[in-house]
Amino acid sequence: MSGSKPDILWSPHHPDRYVICDSELGLYRIGPVGSAETKAGTLPLSEETAATLLAINSDTPYMKCVAWYPKHEPECLLAVGQANGRVVLTSLGQSHNSACKELVGKEFVPKHARQCNTLAWNPVDSNLLAAGLDKHRADFSVLIWDISSKFSPETSVAADKIRLSSVDLDSSTVVTKPLYELGQNDACLSLCWLLRDPKLLLAGMHRNLAIFDLRNTSQKTFVNTKAIQGVTVDPHFHDRVASFFEGQVAIWDLRKFEKPVLTLTEQPKPLTKVAWCPTRTGLLATLTRDSNIIRLYDMQHTPTPIGDETEPTIIERSVQPCESQIGSFAWHPSSQNRMVVVSAANRVMTDFTVFERISLAWSSTTSLMWACGRHLYDCVEDGAEGVESMIEKDIATKMRQRAQSRYGHDTVQVWRNHLLAGGNDPQLKSLWYDLSYILFDDDVEEMPAQRDAVYLGITIIEKDMECWSGSDRQTDVPRYLSEERCLALRLCGWISRGPDIDVEIFLRTLEQEREWERAAAVALFNLDIRRAIQILNKGATAEKGDLNLNVVAMALSGYTDEKSSLWREMCSSLRLQLKNPYLCVMFAFLTSEPGAYDGVLYESSVAVRDRVAFACMFLSDAQLPRYIDKLTNEMKEAGNLEGILLTGLTKDGVDLMESYVDRTGDVQTASFCMLKGSPGDVLKDPRVQCWIENYRNLLDAWRFWHKRAEFDIHRGKLDPSSKPLAQVFVSCNFCGKSISYSCSAMPHQGRGFSQYGVSGSPTKSKVTSCPGCRKPLPRCALCLMNMGTPVSNCPGTGKSDEKVDLTRENKLAQFNNWFTWCHNCRHGGHAGHMLSWFRDHTECPVSACTCKCMQLDTTGNLVPSDSS
Amino acid sequence: MFVARSIAADHKDLIHDVSYDFHGRRMATCSSDQSVKVWDKSENGEWHCTASWKTHSGSVWRVTWAHPEFGQVLASCSFDRTAAVWEEIVGESNDKQRGLSHWIKRTTLVDSRTSVTDVKFAPKHMGLMLTTCSADGVVRIYEAPDVMNLSQWSLQHEISCKLSCSCISWNPSSSRAHPPMFAVGSDDSNVTYGGKVQIYEYNENTRKYAKAETLMTVTDAVHDIAFAPNLGRSFHVLAIATKDVRIFKLVPMRKESTSTGPTKFEVQIVAQFDNHNSQVWRVSWNITSTLLASSGDDGCVRLWKANYMDNWKCTGILKGDGSPLSGSSGQPTAMSTVVGSSVHTSQNALNGMSAGRVGKRAPFAPPVRQLTSSKIYQHSAYY
Repeated sequence: MSGSKPDILWSPHHPDRYVICDSELGLYRIGPVGSAETKAGTLPLSEETAATLLAINSDTPYMKCVAWYPKHEPECLLAVGQANGRVVLTSLGQSHNSACKELVGKEFVPKHARQCNTLAWNPVDSNLLAAGLDKHRADFSVLIWDISSKFSPETSVAADKIRLSSVDLDSSTVVTKPLYELGQNDACLSLCWLLRDPKLLLAGMHRNLAIFDLRNTSQKTFVNTKAIQGVTVDPHFHDRVASFFEGQVAIWDLRKFEKPVLTLTEQPKPLTKVAWCPTRTGLLATLTRDSNIIRLYDMQHTPTPIGDETEPTIIERSVQPCESQIGSFAWHPSSQNRMVVVSAANRVMTDFTVFERISLAWSSTTSLMWACGRHLYDCVEDGAEGVESMIEKDIATKMRQRAQSRYGHDTVQVWRNHLLAGGNDPQLKSLWYDLSYILFDDDVEEMPAQRDAVYLGITIIEKDMECWSGSDRQTDVPRYLSEERCLALRLCGWISRGPDIDVEIFLRTLEQEREWERAAAVALFNLDIRRAIQILNKGATAEKGDLNLNVVAMALSGYTDEKSSLWREMCSSLRLQLKNPYLCVMFAFLTSEPGAYDGVLYESSVAVRDRVAFACMFLSDAQLPRYIDKLTNEMKEAGNLEGILLTGLTKDGVDLMESYVDRTGDVQTASFCMLKGSPGDVLKDPRVQCWIENYRNLLDAWRFWHKRAEFDIHRGKLDPSSKPLAQVFVSCNFCGKSISYSCSAMPHQGRGFSQYGVSGSPTKSKVTSCPGCRKPLPRCALCLMNMGTPVSNCPGTGKSDEKVDLTRENKLAQFNNWFTWCHNCRHGGHAGHMLSWFRDHTECPVSACTCKCMQLDTTGNLVPSDSS
Repeated sequence: MFVARSIAADHKDLIHDVSYDFHGRRMATCSSDQSVKVWDKSENGEWHCTASWKTHSGSVWRVTWAHPEFGQVLASCSFDRTAAVWEEIVGESNDKQRGLSHWIKRTTLVDSRTSVTDVKFAPKHMGLMLTTCSADGVVRIYEAPDVMNLSQWSLQHEISCKLSCSCISWNPSSSRAHPPMFAVGSDDSNVTYGGKVQIYEYNENTRKYAKAETLMTVTDAVHDIAFAPNLGRSFHVLAIATKDVRIFKLVPMRKESTSTGPTKFEVQIVAQFDNHNSQVWRVSWNITSTLLASSGDDGCVRLWKANYMDNWKCTGILKGDGSPLSGSSGQPTAMSTVVGSSVHTSQNALNGMSAGRVGKRAPFAPPVRQLTSSKIYQHSAYY
């Protein structure tokens, strides 16, 4: 150890105290940040903890190594090894303690001065302190001192007696005679007492590791190796020892001491510290010089490294407790995986916990499970808590809720689907209104030739535009009118069916919805300033109305045509400060030149439908398609569902929906929306098929099997090609023909058979036999009747707990008649009988058949999570 | 927003993997204690261990479920150089009542010479296929030609990745426009070996897997990798756990009909977060790939979510031991200076601050304010 390099020692007894030693000793207490915050001089160690300096001891210069006395009493006794080989006992705080007093200041001096490299207290016989020294000719390098001995070597007797007899305080505190001298003619670099036998001392000598036995000091076991630094015993596995040399760590097994059981991957820089984790088996932490990383080696999985050929498992990982270079670290003696780290310079300390690697997984229902160490944690999303969380809710949760509220299934009032979706998503609202306008426009129905146009949206309509007539009503603003433009306005929802443009109904509904600004804007765009002002006044006076609307109305009323008027000037500059986009576009409209309405058309906060409607009224035939094209592309790019108004359910619509799905993952909306498209064109698109498949898969994963079935029915109605074929055919044992009565399943008999089915022919009643060969059907394993006979109530199940209400019973009764059989053992019977049998039994009712029919299918035992 | 509760796992050593089945009603865990446990969720939401058995003679790294359409099938892989396939069978008549199930080994795959680090079933539409990757850098793809006989698996492909493999992930997209594809990550920490994530794609003509892409920007050891559920999107999203959390977007380029080579991708990095400080261990996507969970060296589980502008941010932090996080930030003070990645620097700083609370509204232009609502009355006239 170099002199300035700091080291850390945890108190063996106080879990909240540790000592940092560099040029002096500093005792710190660690505590939660909150309690220590008020006190001055606390050092933050982490988010939660801070350290307080309790005491400083700078009595011992030239410190080379420090060891903390392992026993409770005296509690703050430290042995310091110095550069001259002396070992001094010293203390931090609490020096008033009498037991301590007589020991503190005691010095143990070797014959020849050389550096003391290491110190180790005997964990059991705590009077014994081993010191490892540099080589000095033929002198001993491992000295074991008895701290209770007096300076005179004669009195060094058994340790217990000494404590009683040591009362002579005046005697010199220098001890020169060690209890044992070991390791002659050698140097000692590291030491540790073996935990399996406290009489054994492991020493890292110059070129070998040696085990000294105090009972017989003349003998030593040793093995030649370079890895002699930092010997340390695994506290959980007393035969396992780690030592290092340069960048390489060697792990030894004392029972097989000839060679290391394993060496860890070599580090490019020399190691400075290696320490076993005291709280976990087989976790070794290593530190190299000039590094801010501590490497951890998990040898957990080799409890017996001796094993024949099994190589030990090591999981290597590195942690970075702090930014600066680490001087030293020390595991906390009791807190799990915790350590304190001190930086190489400036004594910056960090409290750090090494976390186990957490593995985690999401379930299909958005609950998260993770494993930390040996524990499992289940984490569930907390249910509804107000609107705020609704906005933040994940699309998976939203889709689940929407599936349960039958979102997408309202085919009559299509616009209602947005309410089923929760009614709080403006894009979905726009989408479903668009669809309901597009799909249910009467004109289209009147013109069956244009039936295909239903899916087209406004873009196509615009392209058909032929005639227009400019109209001039009291102003110079040219407005354009044509049949197609009317249709477009209708799709935008501004006007209802009829020959003339009358937005009054629309305005009134907007007023009812309290959308004053929007209503005013629409009125204004219809060149009715008076009505706009009236609406704004209404809005100002209405309950909870915004009085500012009056001011806006005032400003509106000052409208003037004059190009250079003050009003115009002010309006064009101030309108940008208006927060409401509709108020903003009103003034933009009034201050723009005819035909140059960019302020209105490109105000992205205004609903797309209003902008389109506006464009249809005021843009010329040349401008309009350009604008619509541009807007369409913008919408497609952004995946904005409002753009469905423009694209309709065409290829363009699929493109738009693709960007929407890319952005949100909402395949539910995409599936339901595209199902409304034309089967030939849109539904065949592989992307649409892919969304539908993904949505069905989601429903399956959520066990919303009923919803999936409903979706399939819904899909089958709109896209007949998706209908699946019959899944099961049952053939007669005798003739091999299908026993189904359905004519579709029997193509050969075709019409004749269907007549046979519906007519009251006498054969009809013979359902217990095969329609092909008239041989009887197999018998039910329980009632032994031929299948086809109606099931009789089985007496065995007349239990009290089966008081089912009548309607349900009736429904069940039909089902009870069904054929059912086990696919494994091929035994079966009436569904009702089989069900009641398996309520009490696990094995098949047929004698000598041990098939566990009902347990064969785990998925079959799952309950759909959407059944009522 | 999220609440965690502890389950008595009763594993005798570290748990290395947790895996849910398709429906989220069953779960499997594996551990260094060489065992696998199967858990079933009861109607009241409690988890019960219904099976626990010794699977390997070494630490079990990963466990994974096959699609239920193939039965109740698990695969595990271990340090003992093997992977194994397990199937639940109906056991003694009273097993079910005691809440126990019985699993038997259908096969042991012994081709690897080193520790098998990951095992994954291929997406269902490809049939019953199993992939393993091992520390010697080989990815092996097995197929069970007969789904009724799980004891027969044939080694279909052996792909050498040159680097020690740590994790593998299949692209779950079932779209016909996307050929089968998987990504493999390497935990080799030598930066000079280049990209640690390789993407392989099946070529219909050669009937082999060929490397389609190497993510050259990921040079540090990769610990986990996860393709996001595709859900009909036109691109693929890949989450990577390396020294930080990274999210990549792979946009397939339009392919000329004549070219037979692998698909070219436009690779975009959409997010990079080093909030975990140092290493990130696992990443996992939710079913719609709108939420990403990650775990790392800070001992926390973090949840990430994208807003409409595809800006990812942290929406929740949970401590690994399930305890609530004290303080507003999940980092040690010394760590908050680490923030600053090449992509979303300012965003990261923000994450550090707002973490743990319900995320604020993202700083982008709000969507269109008001829309038609009124036509209800007018429109109902049509009906």
